[in-house]
Amino acid sequence: MTGWIDKRALWIAFLVAPAFLILLTFVVYPLVNALAYAFFDWQSTVRGDFVFLDNFRDILFKEPFATWTRQAFTHNVIVFVSLMVIQNGLGFLLAYALWRNLPGARFHRIAVFLPVVLSTIIVGFLWKLFMHPLFGLVNQTLRAVGLGMLAMPWLGDSKTALGALIVTNAWHWIGFPTLIFLAGMQRIPGEIMDAARMDRDNEWSIITRIVWPLIAPSATIVFILTFIGSFNWFELPYIMAGIDGSPFGNTDVLGLYFYRMAFGNQSAGTTDFGHGSALAVLTFLFIAVVATFWTIRLRRREIEI
Amino acid sequence: MSTVTAGPARREREWSWGTLTQDALLQIVLIGNSFIMLFPIVIMIFNGFKSTQQIFKEPFGIPDFTQIGNYATIATTTGFPRYMLNSFIVTGSSILLILVFGTMAAYAIARYRFRGSAIILLFFISGLTIPLKLAIIPLFLLMRDLHLLDNQLALICTYTAMGLPSTVFIMTGFIRTLPRDLEDAARMDGASEARIMWSVMLPLARPAMVIAGIQNLVPIWNDFFFPLVFIQTDHLKTLPQGLTSFMGEFTTNWGVLFAGLTLAAAPITLVYIALSRQFINGMTSGAVK
Amino acid sequence: MSKLIRAMVFGLLGASIALPALAEDLTFWNWRPEDTAAYQKFFADFHAQNPDINIKFQGYEPSSYATVLSTALSGGQGPDLMMVRAYGAFEAMAAPGYLMDLTGKVPALENFPKTAVAAETLRSDGKVYAVPYASQTIFVMYNKDVFDKFGLSEPKTWDELLADAKTLKDNGIIPFANGTATAWQNETLTFGLGSSIMGKGFYDDFMAGKATFEDPRFVEALKSLTEVKDYLPDGFTGLDYPSSQQLFTSGMAGMFVGGSFEIAGFQKAAPDMHIGVFAAPAKAAGDPALVSVFYDGGFAANAKTEHSAAAVKFLNWVASKEFGQEFANDLGNVSVVPGVEFKSPLLGEVASLNQQSIPYMMLVYFRYQEPSGSVLLQQQVQKMMAGETTPEEAAAEITKGIATYYKPFQK
Repeated sequence: MTGWIDKRALWIAFLVAPAFLILLTFVVYPLVNALAYAFFDWQSTVRGDFVFLDNFRDILFKEPFATWTRQAFTHNVIVFVSLMVIQNGLGFLLAYALWRNLPGARFHRIAVFLPVVLSTIIVGFLWKLFMHPLFGLVNQTLRAVGLGMLAMPWLGDSKTALGALIVTNAWHWIGFPTLIFLAGMQRIPGEIMDAARMDRDNEWSIITRIVWPLIAPSATIVFILTFIGSFNWFELPYIMAGIDGSPFGNTDVLGLYFYRMAFGNQSAGTTDFGHGSALAVLTFLFIAVVATFWTIRLRRREIEI
Repeated sequence: MSTVTAGPARREREWSWGTLTQDALLQIVLIGNSFIMLFPIVIMIFNGFKSTQQIFKEPFGIPDFTQIGNYATIATTTGFPRYMLNSFIVTGSSILLILVFGTMAAYAIARYRFRGSAIILLFFISGLTIPLKLAIIPLFLLMRDLHLLDNQLALICTYTAMGLPSTVFIMTGFIRTLPRDLEDAARMDGASEARIMWSVMLPLARPAMVIAGIQNLVPIWNDFFFPLVFIQTDHLKTLPQGLTSFMGEFTTNWGVLFAGLTLAAAPITLVYIALSRQFINGMTSGAVK
Repeated sequence: MSKLIRAMVFGLLGASIALPALAEDLTFWNWRPEDTAAYQKFFADFHAQNPDINIKFQGYEPSSYATVLSTALSGGQGPDLMMVRAYGAFEAMAAPGYLMDLTGKVPALENFPKTAVAAETLRSDGKVYAVPYASQTIFVMYNKDVFDKFGLSEPKTWDELLADAKTLKDNGIIPFANGTATAWQNETLTFGLGSSIMGKGFYDDFMAGKATFEDPRFVEALKSLTEVKDYLPDGFTGLDYPSSQQLFTSGMAGMFVGGSFEIAGFQKAAPDMHIGVFAAPAKAAGDPALVSVFYDGGFAANAKTEHSAAAVKFLNWVASKEFGQEFANDLGNVSVVPGVEFKSPLLGEVASLNQQSIPYMMLVYFRYQEPSGSVLLQQQVQKMMAGETTPEEAAAEITKGIATYYKPFQK
């Protein structure tokens, strides 16, 4: 009997070990090290003295790094809030419309999700070409319809650059919240909707009092994913605004700032793994704490309802 | 398929002017949205058949589709075919490893009672939302010490690690729902544990493997960040990364740029259109449970 | 055919000679993958003189080169030979001890320009670690055909420059191709147009620790830059670097403010265009027109190479006039090796403009530490050109950022 147990234990270990070891090596080990690295002074890619919290102090309180950190963080917050409103708000509306199962719903569902499968690199370059100040489609259209005065360097003007990136992101990702909301709506039992309609409630109150509360689990997921996505923003600004967050830092976000700090940019060849790690640790802790806190809050809300 | 059978209850609803106006408004919203979604892509495809001058002069014009000069330029003078092949190699290997190792671990957790199985599941699940990008510095140094920098194995290892948590999660959930009877019957017949897993249980788990595969396909195929850090040699680059060198090289030739974007978007778009239902389920399945 | 025969003969000779001697294979890295063919030719020539040494070329992308190289070197790997940059980026490689100390190993360096050797010298120990290869010049390039068509000539004063620009604009030609969306373009714009207005006096006072970037002469240069705004392309704040190059090579724009490193690319993109160069003039006639100059980088050897004798041979060869000449001819660079003659008249003109110059200051002095002077200047000038800050404020911000580590600016 013991022989069988040993064999069984070996068999289980054989099944679990590869996945476990891969995760340990390529996720857990780097994460733990990221924390450790932040406490050292780095000469480019060589670890130097233990400096405890110096790196953290520099990026949070020493000028001009403090301003840059604050600026990047603020932009992440703006991105998050805007995406919540534009991407998820419109996503909800579209999901509701798709739920009606009007003629052509299947086509519309495929269309809204199409950009989601494209690489951010393709989407970013495509819209960068569209927003080109001289030859871009957007300005050419405006000029063609006599609105030439509205034509502007969308990605070069500090008032519009971040907004242009947010709109592009919404175009790219809107299908995602739409279909998650839709899946949530389709889970609402038909009887509940029938009962609500019997009561002759108007559509708006049905949405706010019945549909919205009942799709709370979908909403939780969408919020958390939007949050994590917004604070991990990198590819889109990298392609469309460049590594410096042009113009003059108006599209700079934590992801770009971190990459620049860790791997340098062309005009500051310095690679600084110490400050970079410190920034990564802070970002990570912020995402983890807020996401956990919210998940618990929102889950509780789901249960209450 | 739950997505297809939307609201049969609502069709029996009584007909009224109110719902009709609402439906009309919503239909307009949907049509408008689909136009916004598809128009840029159509323009991208059209412009790939034009010369730069034509694009500047008439950006919306319908091109002469026999003008494939831009595509010929790409096929003959760029690393595009190579980038595409690399993407296939990296994505294919990663998904294969993810499915093999993920299913093995999920099978153990779902089918056997053993001490620590709950903790191991928790360990995998906690990896679900970790933004691994933030650990790029230590990951980079790790790859250097393993001599994997500028090597596609670095990507395959990273992607496999990233894909495992969700796969273990999906597969464990699914394998748990499989009936015990078949397994017990096979065991009675004296089949080995490996045999039971391979010939009895795994064939049943195929639908979940498709979901897990698709869920990993899109982010891995599209990833740009890890190649950006790990890969430097041109002929090792994957499609998104190769696309950035390509865009830098042909900046002055917009026709070629649009053709390149179209070409880069083509594989995944075609697969998506062919398998849209599986794609939508796969990509939203992590979220809807 | 003759090449093939020559190769075969060399191959046979090589095989017969090398059999007992054991050939050495050295690796060489740089950030110019587009120059692969040229380097292979150089290495073949070197091999012809040193049949027992083979050099293998590997080019990486410029944006990731620094990380790739320092990572490899810090992991005890990396090439035997390499190109390193100058100044701050050079020190990032030299300071950790990755590079071979060249003291006494390359006698020809004695005759190199002092400033060039200084660019490859570690400030902390005063030792040289790389053989400098070229200087780059920041100035104004112009389309001669366009200038001729409208009867324009190289301007002698700032006002003439603006007048030329106006003529071009009135005739539907974009005067300057430059946009400001790509951050580093703002730095080339500042020194390409403003060096003469800053003047040698400002530079000397700065070196003596008597002037900061808030000095009226520097502020004046920034102010002049804003006068050019009308002559940049529409929507220049959103125009990136490749688009600017495109405007110039397509003939849509008459001038391009940038570095001499552009010339080879421009000539390739527009083989029929005649390019001229000039130093953007000062305000008053008679004040010297200055260009801005920096050294690009140097050839270095790995401190841990197993082929140190061969590496030193190679470094002496790249310090020779023979190589400098080849380098200038084939790659269109202003080689710093003394005595090199420039066949291309344009290159000769660049070399002669270099006689009246100030250094490309942010790169030369302020890329050793964060926040780098380049990053500060680029941000502030970009902001100023967008009309969101004044020249005075921009100058103050730049000075303030640098003052966090630069003693003479701390008052």
